[in-house]
Amino acid sequence: MSDYLSWRIADFPFQKTIPTRWGDNDMLGHLNNVVYNRMIETVVVGFTMGPLEINWQEAPSYPLVVESLCRFHRPLSFPETVTAGLRAGRVGGTSVTYEIALFGEGHQMPASTGHFVHVFIDRETHRSVSIPEAIRARIEMHGIRRQA
Amino acid sequence: MAAQKIETRSDYGYFLSLQTRWMDNDLYGHVNNVTYYSYFDTVVNYFLIEKGGLDIHNAPVIGVVVESHCNYARSVAYPDLIDCGLRVGHLGNTSVRYEVGIFRNGEAEACAAGHFIHVFVERDTNKPVSIPAPIRTAFETILAGGAA
Repeated sequence: MSDYLSWRIADFPFQKTIPTRWGDNDMLGHLNNVVYNRMIETVVVGFTMGPLEINWQEAPSYPLVVESLCRFHRPLSFPETVTAGLRAGRVGGTSVTYEIALFGEGHQMPASTGHFVHVFIDRETHRSVSIPEAIRARIEMHGIRRQA
Repeated sequence: MAAQKIETRSDYGYFLSLQTRWMDNDLYGHVNNVTYYSYFDTVVNYFLIEKGGLDIHNAPVIGVVVESHCNYARSVAYPDLIDCGLRVGHLGNTSVRYEVGIFRNGEAEACAAGHFIHVFVERDTNKPVSIPAPIRTAFETILAGGAA
């Protein structure tokens, strides 16, 4: 547990700021847990469209989520702006695990940490395929720990 | 990727049926990954209300989420009807691990399965407290035998 709390925004080579909205809070006055997962998805998609330059509609193989996990350390609330950090964790043959943390305004400790696993799928056969080399290289540029 | 155990309906002790909605589908034409967590949220809270007698507006003790996780095996898409299966995987003094399976259109095998951990806290102080007796009694009725 304490290991995750030591994650800092500077540890994440890809970052994205995400505003919160009124409707993100639930009746307990904090962002609903589902919204944290939405933010995790948002930073992953931002990474695939930005540094990875993946065209989701047309690329011959596309990433599909097969697993996601979110730990909730501290509440986030509207109207704060969240900074999401992403780095590559395990990069396998056909899949990549991103490590992600969400930081609230003015906080060094993460409000949330988790991971998100993408498998690359061939658009024609709908089967998993090797991560394209150019994309793999870009992923690996954004890693901190790697075990192939 | 390690093979996941295939979850079947008999693995769960409580079910809530839901109608998927148009807005649940994303650009891929399937239910978006984040939306599964709203199904988790919905079945867990409905169980607490229906079987545990939770008053979501006034209860002095509430559950807060500390972790959520999902493995996605096959896709669900609007207009599927889904059954959300729920069991308790671990029952602690102040926390509970729910395990949820999402079943599509009467199918025997789950399309997605995951877990959701609640810590019960005093609404006013946010301090962890023992799970209230009526809720604990309800949990015991869906406690998985020997599950982690």
